[in-house]
Amino acid sequence: MRRLVLTRRESPTRGGQPIAFLFGLAFALIGGAILLTISGDPVFDVYERMWERSFGSLDTISATFNRAVPLALAGLAVSIAATMGLWNIGAEGQILFGATAATFVGRIFPDLPGPILIIAMLLAAALGGALWALGPGLARAEIGVSEIITTLMLNEVAIRLIVYLQTTKWKDPDGFGFPQITARPEQARLGIIWERAHLGVLIALALIAAFGWFMNRSVWGYELKIAGSSPKTATYAGISMRRKVVGVMALSGAVAGFAGGIELGGSAVRLSENISNGFGFAGIIVAALALMRPSGVAVVALAFSALQVGGLSIQTLGVSSAVSTILQALILFGAIGAAVLSTYQIRLVDRKVTT
Amino acid sequence: MILAELTITETAVIGLFVATIQFATLLFLAGLGETISERAGVLNLGVEGMMAIGAVFGFIGGVESGSPWVGLLVGTIAGGAIALLHATAAVALGADQVVSGLALTMLGLGLADFIGDDYTSDPRRALFAEVDIPGLSDIRIVGDVLFSASPVTYMAIVLGVIAWFVLNRTSIGLGLRAVGQSASTADAAGHSVVGMRMGAVVVGGALAGMSGAYLSTFVVGAWSVGVTAGRGWIAVALVIFGAWRPGRVAAGALLFGFTLALQSRLQPFGVNFSPILVSMLPYLLTVGVLVVISIRARNQPSPSPAGLGIPYRREER
Repeated sequence: MRRLVLTRRESPTRGGQPIAFLFGLAFALIGGAILLTISGDPVFDVYERMWERSFGSLDTISATFNRAVPLALAGLAVSIAATMGLWNIGAEGQILFGATAATFVGRIFPDLPGPILIIAMLLAAALGGALWALGPGLARAEIGVSEIITTLMLNEVAIRLIVYLQTTKWKDPDGFGFPQITARPEQARLGIIWERAHLGVLIALALIAAFGWFMNRSVWGYELKIAGSSPKTATYAGISMRRKVVGVMALSGAVAGFAGGIELGGSAVRLSENISNGFGFAGIIVAALALMRPSGVAVVALAFSALQVGGLSIQTLGVSSAVSTILQALILFGAIGAAVLSTYQIRLVDRKVTT
Repeated sequence: MILAELTITETAVIGLFVATIQFATLLFLAGLGETISERAGVLNLGVEGMMAIGAVFGFIGGVESGSPWVGLLVGTIAGGAIALLHATAAVALGADQVVSGLALTMLGLGLADFIGDDYTSDPRRALFAEVDIPGLSDIRIVGDVLFSASPVTYMAIVLGVIAWFVLNRTSIGLGLRAVGQSASTADAAGHSVVGMRMGAVVVGGALAGMSGAYLSTFVVGAWSVGVTAGRGWIAVALVIFGAWRPGRVAAGALLFGFTLALQSRLQPFGVNFSPILVSMLPYLLTVGVLVVISIRARNQPSPSPAGLGIPYRREER
């Protein structure tokens, strides 16, 4: 008897991941087309509108850049944790708590001049995100609690914390009884650099570049790589695994929290539980597609941002914006299939006789 | 006067515990599914998405056929079908379970939203009726709470017993647990690791789908975007809380179900505590339990399946 088996290639196909990503994109677009056709929606009109509203003009491109910022930072946060083999599934909660911390600063110092207030709010956001990730980091380092579940659980806690503040202590007195948090100070708004793109775009690019440099050129980055790939070697070399785990989780949380601060200063007027919009979860997919490489994270985040911005625009065609979510998930599944093809080859072999 | 007050209190108590049983059923079905999957070594973070798929297909199946039973069946099948994607990616192709599971949640929520678009404000209903157990349902309070539930609750209990029996008392269960403990050892012993794991993921998805269908044919009784409201994540938490054992998962489902029921029912008891803070409890309790498990794991074996989350590729044996 013969059967199909997957065998690992000696080395993965060169340039495998970008190809896998493009394959995933094609897979998603075809899958989406099938779905749209079944439901009787005009496929080409939908895709054309999505393209037009994300990359069609300078104005829309700048909006796409803006939305790529939280996606890229969340992806970066996930990649940072991944250097130590850790999964930060809590970027969503860290973004939310970061934005909460920034709002807190804005509430105490509502009259500070704009630039100073923005800096203070962004720092508070990073600190808040770091704090939200610190618990899972400590629990992992000290007693070996899986960070996957703890970070995941804290997402739900962060959402409810904001809903709580919305209906109680931070409720907008001018909200006509509507449960919303008082708007952040007007001057705490990130400056516009080009068309609609705000300063956050530059900051995110700088952070990504800095992290790339840090991982490849600094001692700490080098130690991280060793610790991540071989904990035993690291321990022999005198690197404290516990401190690395806590540090990496806090740094990862800080980057995600920072994204929350940027959203508050760039795209939102006030804190709400929708300020993150699933960026933390999408960020995990972005980082996975980018194989945890910072440069890749930037590119994939831009593509995901385009899908999200484009997805919002098709509602006027009477098509559900959920198409965008479906496409993003399908890209990942398509890319998984393609990545397997690039690292494995399918062969027909004789069935082993088991005794 | 005193009598009137007592009646109100009794109604409130019954309401609280009836809701507890409803939420417990919902959480238990999904939690049992995740338990089966994780016992085979596959973490599936797609529960929220599979539940949403079950909810939308359950509603459509119910209202189009006019029978909640058809809805429950369709939702169950849909949950199993979408879980096949995770089974293929994370088991057959050996992709990372965390990423694949989260993508499944994303896909499930998106698909449910897309498919359910035309059904969001559909006035039609296909609802399960409570089934009174003769004799027992007449008992004061207890009868209303325990013996006048939806048929799905009784079914969930039966399914729980079956799952416990299969896991602990049959060779299939032994194989499944072996695959979850050490895939390579189980493989060497002649178990089909890929087959077992894929099967467990699909069964887990079917149960999550059933849970979602129960939501749209009974608990909420309708479909709307976001109807699952993060309860899939509670189901994931429940498995850990229940130490990967069906009986304890059931106990945890009652406790978490109670906290969900409590959220909208604090006021009748005159308790002035924010329901939103109560809604944080399941998540915080799970973190607490994880910490306790890890501290105790220094002296005794962890209840977690040893091979959980580790993809298996045969040639790397």
